[in-house]
Amino acid sequence: MPGTRTGALTAAGIAAVLALGACGSAKKSDSSASTSSGAASTSATTTADKGPIVIGAAVDDTNFMRPIDQPPLAAARLEAARINAAGGVDGRRIEFKVINTQIDPERTRAAATQLLDGGASVLWVTCDVDLSTPSIQVGLAKKVLTVAPCIGTDQMGARRFGDAGKLAFSFGNVAQDEGAAMARAAIDKGWRTSNLISDRALVYTQNVCEAFSIAFARLGGRVLDRETFTTGDNTISGVVSKINKSQADVDTLCTTAGRDLPAFVTGLRGLGNRTPILGPWSIDGTYWLPKSTSAADDIHLVTFASVFADDPDPKVRSLIDEMKRAGQAPTTGGFLTGPETVDAIVQAIRDNGGSTDGTKLAASMEGFRDVRTSLGTISFSPQLHTVFGREYRVIDIMGGKGKLGGTVRADAPVTLGG
Amino acid sequence: MSRARTAAIQLLGPIALIVIVGLLGSASSGAHQIDFVNALVQTTIVIGMYIFIGNSGVISFGHISFVAIGAFVAGVLTIPSVVKPTLLPALFPLLANHSVSPFASLLIAAGAGALFALVIGAPLMRLGGLAAGIGTLAVLEITHNLLRYWEKIGPGARTLSLVPTTTTMRVATIGAVVSAVVAYGYQRTRAGRLLRATREDPAAAAGAGVRIHGQRLGAFVLSGAVAGLAGGLLVHALGSITTEQVYLDLTFVTLAMLVVGGMNSLWGAVVGALLISFLDTYLGYAENGLDLGLFRVNLPDGLSTVILGAIMLAILVLRPSGLTGGREFRIPGLRRRATPAQPDAEEEDGGAAPAAETSA
Repeated sequence: MPGTRTGALTAAGIAAVLALGACGSAKKSDSSASTSSGAASTSATTTADKGPIVIGAAVDDTNFMRPIDQPPLAAARLEAARINAAGGVDGRRIEFKVINTQIDPERTRAAATQLLDGGASVLWVTCDVDLSTPSIQVGLAKKVLTVAPCIGTDQMGARRFGDAGKLAFSFGNVAQDEGAAMARAAIDKGWRTSNLISDRALVYTQNVCEAFSIAFARLGGRVLDRETFTTGDNTISGVVSKINKSQADVDTLCTTAGRDLPAFVTGLRGLGNRTPILGPWSIDGTYWLPKSTSAADDIHLVTFASVFADDPDPKVRSLIDEMKRAGQAPTTGGFLTGPETVDAIVQAIRDNGGSTDGTKLAASMEGFRDVRTSLGTISFSPQLHTVFGREYRVIDIMGGKGKLGGTVRADAPVTLGG
Repeated sequence: MSRARTAAIQLLGPIALIVIVGLLGSASSGAHQIDFVNALVQTTIVIGMYIFIGNSGVISFGHISFVAIGAFVAGVLTIPSVVKPTLLPALFPLLANHSVSPFASLLIAAGAGALFALVIGAPLMRLGGLAAGIGTLAVLEITHNLLRYWEKIGPGARTLSLVPTTTTMRVATIGAVVSAVVAYGYQRTRAGRLLRATREDPAAAAGAGVRIHGQRLGAFVLSGAVAGLAGGLLVHALGSITTEQVYLDLTFVTLAMLVVGGMNSLWGAVVGALLISFLDTYLGYAENGLDLGLFRVNLPDGLSTVILGAIMLAILVLRPSGLTGGREFRIPGLRRRATPAQPDAEEEDGGAAPAAETSA
């Protein structure tokens, strides 16, 4: 009876469609964990009530942003626990609600909506402005303070999101500052010529290279060769060949720890090229290094903190130990931005008498100049809603092992064209 | 039963299902509404693909190109002109200096999809079988790379943001219903029937005087228009878009929707699209922990994709012609009595379920 079977299967399909659709009204868990129990009852415009301050985090816990998103979040939760133990924010506890977006754009948008509808007062998003745009736009549309712990461009703000972007901030180092710090680090190491290899995949990697180039020239350095690629476009071998022909004091590489980074390092060293490689925070850590220790050699980078047990700040070392005990040992210095984000949110709430109104919090944050947090100082400006002026750690990777090589500050954030 | 009544019932099924999903979505909370809107937009995409693939029997891997074109055209044209210089500094002056309403952008997106389909379809539709499939895949690659690297027409590799989010539940429902009406209307026309004849037996159809190239091209352009419209709906649903969102993943998932539902009928396209869309969404939620009243589902990370793949595989193995068997909607017990003057029941039903020309 083929007709009967078709009918039954079709009916089953429709029933499944409607049943799954009806699941939409089923209550879904919107929290994988939180720092304390208790129902969230805050809203974006609530002022000084006694409910918890809920920070809703729509971040990746599955995909390639996991190593970037999770360490700051883990450190932020420790900082929130510390503040709660000390009495909270004028008696109010800080809670985190977290949804794994898997960096799927639809899920990212739905996660942000779910978190804010569920009472989150502040939205915490993934550390890449392109991947987090769906959630950022939800936060801004609802006039909620929207923060990213470690986006490294000037795109968090009006530049990307127009007027609504006044409520968007990032606690990463802005590329204009980080590139300038890299240039200072290069000059300090005695490098006067550099090749420049820029990954077009992200605004951040392009900007940090451009900023390096401008600042390096101002400091008397000279860029010999410029190459670009896009992570995953299978052109890295050609880039290696061209760079190998241009002998500079240093090869400055602005990319992320995707598959092309170890390919570049292995390829260059495989040709017998021992030129030092300099990079930004996005290549921090040793987890991506080629297995060959001779290839993983003479690599240098600037980052937030040293994860090699030799950071000059005892508070940073203490936090790393705490994270290790919690089974969340950081692989890069990016974890440092988590507690700073929490501290800044708390400072802004206190500045506004306990209000979590997004517009008020954003106005406070925009005025932050060298504001002390538990792990350093942060500054924002109307033009730059991403932190500048931090003291960077210079990490030297020799023979596959990383260690602190010193600290450096940008002379000043450079202005990029376009 | 008269042919008109049969047609009305066959169209009623998909439309009713779309409307029910739209109503369910309207009754759900804000976060879940996004899932419903997404399901309806994906249904529109699959209907667009069905118009060509279902009627011609030629598999196309390139229809997401039209969705991409529609999405970026609608997105770029509706971003306020005042923010374009900072957001899209390299844009052509024509695009940089003009903005249109979201509704107008949908019409332009549909037109752009149709125009692009006409340009590439003119040579491509002369191909058949595997060559046509590979050709459409090449079109997808070209489109993707143009959009990803040519910053004079869009954001390049970056996210296109600040697109007005105007695809509400009502708009998404209307979009899917309009697409379904267009698709069903087309398959009932003479052109639609001639194209179906070429699907059943190209040699016989050509021998009977059917211009295969012309018929395929017509359907390709119409499906390009619907796919372009779907792209416009998509970008206005999300408020932002990247080139990766309208590339291989979407190509394969929408093709799977069409095949799982039954690629030879509109009913199959709609059932397949909604079923797979909701399955995908809720299996993904289950990885975060999903409360279903009496019990809680908590899947390990990544398992949702495995389950979805297994379900699709099981359906394809057990039911190669899809859940609906490639038949149009019918009300059980209301079977039409075929007469010699009317087309046979199989043809009215959307035809049997022949293998597509390409199975690559």
